This record gives sequence, structure tokens and C-alpha cells, in this order.
Amino acid sequence: MSNPPAGSPAIAVEGLTREIATGTHTVKILKGLDFTIPHGQFVAIMGASGSGKSTLLGLLAGLDSPTAGSIRLDGVDITRLAEDEMAKVRGEKIGFVFQSYQLIPTLTAEENVLLPHELQGRREDGSARARELLEQVGLADRADHYPVQLSGGEQQRVALARAFMTAPPILLADEPTGNLDSTNGQLVLNLLVEMNRARGATLVMVTHDAELARKADRTITLRDGQVVSDQ
Amino acid sequence: MTGSFTLQSARKIAWREARASGGKFLFVILAVAIGVGALTGVRGFSTAFRRMLNTEARTLMAGDVSARLFVQPDANQEEALLGLAKRGAQLTRITETVTMAANPANPTPLLVSLKAVDPAEYPFYGVVELDPPQPLAKALCETCAALSQELALRLGLSPGGTIRLGGKDYRVSALVVKEPDRMTGSLNVGPRMMMSRAALESTGLISLGSRAAQRFLFKLPTTGLPVAEARDRVKKIFPEALVTDYRETHPLITRGLDRATGFLSLVSLVALIIGALGVAMAMNSHLQQRLDSIAVMKCLGARSGQIIRIYLMQTLALGVAGGVLGIAFGAAVQFAFPSLIERYFQLRPEFYFDWPSMLQGMLAGVLSTLLFTLPPLLGIREIKPNAIFRRDMKGTKPSWGERWKQARAAMFSGLVILVGLGGLAGWLTGSKLAEAARLGAWFSGGLLGALLILMAFAWLLLRGIRRLSPLTRGTLRHGLANLYRPGNQAELVLVSIGIGVMFTLTIYLVQHSLLKEIAESAPPGMPNVFLIDITEPLKEGVTTLVNQQPGVEKGAELIPSVAARITHINGQAIETLDLKGFGRRFLQTRSVTWNAQQPAGTKLLAGKWFEPGASGQLAITEDTSKVLRIQLGDVIDWTASGKVIRAQVKAIYRQESVRAGATQEFIFDPATLRDLPVIYFAGLRVNATQVARLQTKLYAKYPTISVVNIADVLDIIQEVVDQVAVVIRFISAFAILGGIIILAASVAGTRFRRIREVVILKTFGGTRWKIARIFSVEFLLLGATAGLLGAALATGFTGLIMKRFFEEAEYNWQWEALVVAIVGSALIANAAGWLASARILGQKPLAILRED
Repeated sequence: MSNPPAGSPAIAVEGLTREIATGTHTVKILKGLDFTIPHGQFVAIMGASGSGKSTLLGLLAGLDSPTAGSIRLDGVDITRLAEDEMAKVRGEKIGFVFQSYQLIPTLTAEENVLLPHELQGRREDGSARARELLEQVGLADRADHYPVQLSGGEQQRVALARAFMTAPPILLADEPTGNLDSTNGQLVLNLLVEMNRARGATLVMVTHDAELARKADRTITLRDGQVVSDQ
Repeated sequence: MTGSFTLQSARKIAWREARASGGKFLFVILAVAIGVGALTGVRGFSTAFRRMLNTEARTLMAGDVSARLFVQPDANQEEALLGLAKRGAQLTRITETVTMAANPANPTPLLVSLKAVDPAEYPFYGVVELDPPQPLAKALCETCAALSQELALRLGLSPGGTIRLGGKDYRVSALVVKEPDRMTGSLNVGPRMMMSRAALESTGLISLGSRAAQRFLFKLPTTGLPVAEARDRVKKIFPEALVTDYRETHPLITRGLDRATGFLSLVSLVALIIGALGVAMAMNSHLQQRLDSIAVMKCLGARSGQIIRIYLMQTLALGVAGGVLGIAFGAAVQFAFPSLIERYFQLRPEFYFDWPSMLQGMLAGVLSTLLFTLPPLLGIREIKPNAIFRRDMKGTKPSWGERWKQARAAMFSGLVILVGLGGLAGWLTGSKLAEAARLGAWFSGGLLGALLILMAFAWLLLRGIRRLSPLTRGTLRHGLANLYRPGNQAELVLVSIGIGVMFTLTIYLVQHSLLKEIAESAPPGMPNVFLIDITEPLKEGVTTLVNQQPGVEKGAELIPSVAARITHINGQAIETLDLKGFGRRFLQTRSVTWNAQQPAGTKLLAGKWFEPGASGQLAITEDTSKVLRIQLGDVIDWTASGKVIRAQVKAIYRQESVRAGATQEFIFDPATLRDLPVIYFAGLRVNATQVARLQTKLYAKYPTISVVNIADVLDIIQEVVDQVAVVIRFISAFAILGGIIILAASVAGTRFRRIREVVILKTFGGTRWKIARIFSVEFLLLGATAGLLGAALATGFTGLIMKRFFEEAEYNWQWEALVVAIVGSALIANAAGWLASARILGQKPLAILRED
């Protein structure tokens, strides 16, 4: 990977469009979005169900390709990257927190946290860091437990620890508290924000909860695939 | 610090993933193990049976290779023989000669066939049975001789008596009841006797220039010197000698061994396919369940190559673990089964399990695991990380370019699988490279054809059901809908059950046809005693006498024989024909016969048998027509007792069952040979223990008639043929059982994808009974359709195999088997589906929902 140009934003989106052909007709999910996010900013993306929030997040993470437009992460255009090059970018630059945790059911909590580290082929032993992260999310004593043995809140905290394992400069969160009760949701959100601030990473969080969005530095609201407010 | 993703990291992740879901992995390992176990078990049994049959066949020659010559070997030849001995071959010499022998009390001598052996080594296989029972070395002491029953009878001798030979007297130590290699002796002129070589030397009969045949009998080591190579070497050492090996002692044995070998190879191949099928199903369903994990890993930055490495390593480990377990399973079956086999099949194969067959089983298991995991592994590249978010996005229509890309990968992996399996098949048959390549190509081609037909049909069926199911209601509708719902592997299951049924049924049908043929070629009532030189006036009396004797199971069947010589073929003098070697026999007077009807045990190849009242017509054997280049309609002129006979060839036939009497090369219509001098041969079936008694009676009244008793030899032949039949039956039963288990496993392999479905149905109020009924519709339909297709393909395949690999055998239609296959596969699929779903049906939905 080449070094990012000095002073470039963490994320730059230009004319971002995503259409899906369903055989009989084409659905426009995103209709030419433009915005930039500077380094270290915490941005909430809001919108009703079907407004295109999750699609946008998936595109930012390079999990899908746009129909038109471009996305630059640290000045690097990721829209034309091949699948494996994109995977490399994800491994180095992006941490991800899903609504439904997406832990690998056959790995223990610690092994799940360790996974991105190992996938990057880092030489140093990551176990100490994985345990440290688990401790930060309050699960030091559950390191050997499998996902099925953990509650939803605990699973999401493991997912948080996993997202921070490789210290990515950009963190994307897709309704991270959507599947949790309010107490656990609050706990996870606080952890996410604190850990992110401590590391100075850029955080983009999709939510439809205005209360959560208030904690962000900036809120971008989508409706029918377009930005209706950015403040 | 970023480094490269090492194999060690891949191994670590693969192991962690495997460790946690032990139960599921055990299932995969077991499926691989069943496949490998079926393969190694079948191959192990095949080898054991082949060795057993060969050992039986060897007793007819008392050795592996035999060379007969009429001169003593020179120094060079002796040295070359030593070379063979160095490679582990054992050698014993047998001298056969014809001489006069007499009872000193009644000095009228008799021409006898004398066989001298080294009793310390002879026979390498089988035993010489003596009466009274005693070791051969004792019976053949330097002053002893053992006589055939016929000789003892003719000379009026019994054990303890004295026989005079070359002016010296020898003690009659025993009567020879059974002499394994009697049919391979060269000089079967008169009644037989046996001595040791040392005793023969003391008679002074053998001196320079004596007409004696030397037979060199070799026993080969178990490994390191194959029979074909040994035979070639012996032929090189003795170019003038008649060299034979145990595979050609008798046409029935040769054919039986050929059939057995061909069939066992076929079953091995089928076991490979069925085994590979089990492995493929297990691996496919295993990787299907890993899709979510793979998508998550991709989100976390894993590249396709890394994930492929992780799962490659995992499947490889599963393949190896399954392979090891399968080999153990194959060995255990072989170890435990012989006593069971002995109880039901009356034969006991020795335990045979060697490194090469283990290695073959292991490699076949791992290779087929790899081959069949190739498509899902390559498919990893196509898994989009956002599958986690939007499963429904899969439903979007891919562009033509993408479709081609996916199809290209599938076609490539399909090609690799076919070539790989073809290679494995060729390798397993263990023949020469060209032959293996040919067989491998056949195998792959057949498999590809069957797969294409099955896939096309599966596609059509599912489309049809899709249109039909909205017209149905309730359980039926759910069951039908299950078949085409996305994520259901109905097509795959249908193809795999179809392939399984096809091969299993093919085995059964081939077995059935072969057994029928074998039974017909060696009917149990085959004559075992022959009476020679019965003249017309004695005909009635001899027939009546022998048919009245106790122990006669099938009365004398008289075959007339007229001495005649061919003079011209289509007007050309026979002397001017270019006849070589054995073909020159047609220049001499031959024994011909007549028969108004086509004799039993012959097969008409061309033309028609004579109409009643026909004259001037004859039928000839296929072999004769080839040697003399005669076709239907050709005219042959004969001379017999001074009369000239002209006859036209009306039929060409083949002798199907082996009749040990005179080969009937020419059969005339009865009118043409009328009034010519005739003598008769008679063949009858006598209980082996009563032959001596019959001989005595016959000799007392008709001393001019010779009796040839082949009961002991025929017993061995019958035994080998029976064993071939039993082996074929057993191996096919074993393969069919393996096929059934794997069929069941391939249905059971779909259980994991059902968990979600069961949970949802239960959540919305579905009872277990209701869900089981829905599954039944699905399984029964899948099983029955696959059974129907498999049965249709098996029928075609069997016809092809019988034509290609067992050229002479005929295919017999088996309606019952087809019906059983269709109903059976439906029921098995249903039972396996129920069994596999039983645990899922009992599960509480919450646990599964929470896993999501």
C-alpha cells in the first residue's frame, strides 16, 4: 500500500451510487452521495429503515462495489480494487462492528479477537494484546468461552475488542447496539466511544437511534438514498 | 508489524475451528472413513480372494509355471535356471515316459504312463491323495511305486503287491486317488503309475535318447517375480518347450479367473466412486456451513487465498483422519469377516492387508477429498463479504460475464475431478500405463455422461416441481417447495443418490449375468467319466451295464465318431492350404460326428442348424472356421472308409460349456454319415467314490473298453468355478451394502441445513410429526426419482460393461432388481433422512436461534 497523501481526509465519498438489478427492474439504493470525513471524527449516519445506511457502510468497508462514484480511504481509491486487494485494505485500515456480532461460532472469545491479527500474518504474538482488549471490555474471565456461551452484550463486547485488535485508523459500526437491551447497549456504546477516542480513530456508526447519534461529532441523515442533512 | 500469512497461522486457525465443532467434524471424518473403508475393504477382499482362487487354480498344475521338453537342459540352460532360483523361484523336475509294466505273477505286460517326481518337493500346490493314506515320500520310496486304480485293476494288483518294471520288481505302496496335475501330463497313453525320480533311475529305463518328457515345475515367490515375467523368462530359456502357467490349465479355470479378476477390478472402481461420493457429500455440506465464517473472515481482512489455505488444510486433515479411520475400518472388516463368510459362503479367505493397498486406500481417500472439495474451495473466492448483511443480494441476476466466470471455475474443477478420478481408476486397476489410461478414460467418460444426464434430469425435475407445487396444498406443498428452495442441495443429493444407485445396481446386474454364465458353463451334471472305443455291437450292452451301476448320477450319453479326412475345401486340395502349427492337424484323419439337433452347451454364431431330413450339411466350430478360413456356404470334400462325402457348411458354433470328451469340431447331419463304420464315446456322471467299482465291473465284461476317469480333476475345476461364483456374490453384496450406507450418509449430510428450517417451522407452530411428514415428501420423491434414473443408467451401463469387458457374456434383464432399486432408494433416502433429522426435530428452537 502506498502512503496516504498528506492532509487527505480519512474518508472521501464522491457521487456514490449503488443500484441493484432484480431481473425485472433496477432499484436505486444510493443516489450520488458526496461527503468527506476528517481523521479522528465520530460520525453517526442516520435514517429510516431502507434509506441506504447499511449499504453505505458496506461500501465504505469495501464489502461491496458501487455502481458509480468513488470512495477514498486515506487518499486511496478503493472502488476499483480487486477483492483480495480490498481484503488487504480492510485488514490494515478498517475495524468493523456488526449489529449481529458475527463472531465465528467455532472460535473462543480470545481466538475471535486474535483472528484479524493472525489473518494479517503479523509476526508478534497477539495473545497478550487480545487479553488486554478483553480486559478493557470487561471479559477477561470469559476468554475461553465460545460465542454460544456468551450473552448478546458480551458477544458484542468481544466484537468490539476484535475491531480494535489491529488498531485500525477507521472503525465502522453497523447499529452496534441494535440487538441489545438499553443497559447493555449503553455499555457497548460507551466502550466504543471511549476506546475510539483513546486511539484517535475515525468512527462511522450507522444508527436509527437519535439518542445515540447525539454522542457523535457529526450526523449525516439519509432518506431514499440521498443525504438530507449533514450537521 | 505486518508479515506474510504463514502455513502455521493457517494451520492454527484451521485447528481451532475444527476443535470446537467436534461432533460435526466427526461426522465428516466418518463419511470419509466409510468411503475409504469400502474401498480398502473391497480391495483387500479382492486380493485375498484372487490369491485364494489362484491357489486353487495352481493345484491343477501343482506349480505356477511349467515347461515341458523332450531333451535334457544344457549347461547354459541350467545356469539360467539358477538365475531364476536366485529370484526366489523354486524348481522341481518331473520325468514322464511310457513303458511296459507287468504283474510278475501274470507276465502279460501292459503299456503304462510313468511319472517320476521328487516327493520332497512335488507337488508345490495341492496334495497327492493315496489309498491307504500315507505321505508321498513314504509311498514313493526307492523300491516303491504307486499305481492308478485302473492300472491296479488291469494288472490284478493291490497295495502290498509287486509290479515289474524294466526287469526289476517294485512294491506297490498305494493307489493314487487324486493327482492334482494329472491333466497337464503329456503322455496320457495308458494307465498311470508314479515313482520317485530315484526309483526311475534304478529301473535303468531312462538312458540317453530315451523318449521321456522332462517337466520343469516352478513355484514363484509371493512377491518380486510376477507370473507373466517368469513365464517369459522360462520361454526364453527353453524356446522349444511347451511353457504354460497356472492360468491356462483349463479353459473353465482361465475363464473363471478372467471373470473374477475383471469383476473384482470393476467393483474396486465402483467402491472408489461410491467412496468418493460419500467424501464429496460430506465435504460439500461441511463447507456450506462455513459460508458465514468465511464472509466474516473476509470482512476482517482475510484474502481468498488465505481462507482457501485454511480450509484446504482443514479438509486435508479431515481427509487424512477419515482415511486412517477408513483403513482401520477396512482392516477390521477383513479381520472380523472371514469367519462370517465361512459360515455363509463355505470359503475362508486369508487375512490380506499390505502396505500398498493401505497406501492406495489412503491416497484415494485424500485425493478424492481434495478433488471434491475443489469446487467449494474455489467457490470461496466468489463469497462476498457483504453476504453477512444481505443474503438476499444473492438473488440478484449476475451479468453474463460473471456467470461465465463462475461457470469457468466450475468447469475447470469438474474437469480436474474427472481426470483425477480417471487417473485413480486407472491406477487402482494396476495394469500397464496404456491400458490404465484407456480404462481411466472410459471410466471418466462414462461418469461424465451419467452425471450430465442426471444433472439435466434433476434440473428439469426441479423446474417441473416448481410449476406443480403451487397447485398442491399442505404437507405436500411444503415438501415439494423444500426441493427448489434456495440453499437446498436437492440437485446435488439427487445426482449423488442417482450415481450411487447406478453403480450399486450395475454391480448387481453384472454379477447376475456373470453368475448365470458361469453356472451354464460348468453345469453340475458334467460328465466325469469317459468310456472310449465302444463299437456298434457293444453299444447297447455297455450302456445298459453302466447305467445300472450304483453311483451313476447321469447315464451314458453316446457320441458317435466317424474317422474322416478333408480332401478339398471349395475345390482346393487341402495340402495346398498354408496351414501352420496346430492347424496342420486338419491334414490328418479326424474324428467327426453327427447330431440332428444343436448339442446342449453350444452357441450358434452364424447360420442355422440342419432341417429334419437334410443331407450333405455340416456345422463347424468357430476356431476351425478361422484356421481353415471357411465361411457359411463353403463346401468341404471328405474321404471316409473309401467313400467320398461332400458337405456344405450350414452353421458355425462355439462350445460354451466345457465337455471333457472329444472336441467336436465337425458335426454332420445324421443322413450324410449313415452306413459308415462308427465307434462311440460315452460320457457319464458318476459319484467319485463309485468310479473304481464301475471300472471293475466294466473291465470284467468289456475288457477292450478304456475308462478315463477325470472325476478328481473335475472336482477341482468345479471347486474353482464355484468359488469364483461365491466370491463374485460376496464382493457384490459387500459393495451393495457399502453403497446403501453411503446413500444414507449423503442424505444425512443435508441435516445441518435443515436445522434452521426445523427451528422456523417449530417457532411458528409446526409439530414434529408435521415436519417429519414434510421431509418425507421431499426424501421419498428424491429417492424414487434418483432410483429411477440410477436404474435406467445402470441398465445401459451394465450392457456396455458386459459387451466391453466381458465380451462373451450376455446381459440379462432384471425387472425385479430395477423395481427393488427404485423402491429401495426411496425408502432408504426416507429412513436416512428421518434418522438424520431425528435429533434436530427434538431440539429447542432457542438454542439455534441464538447461534445466529
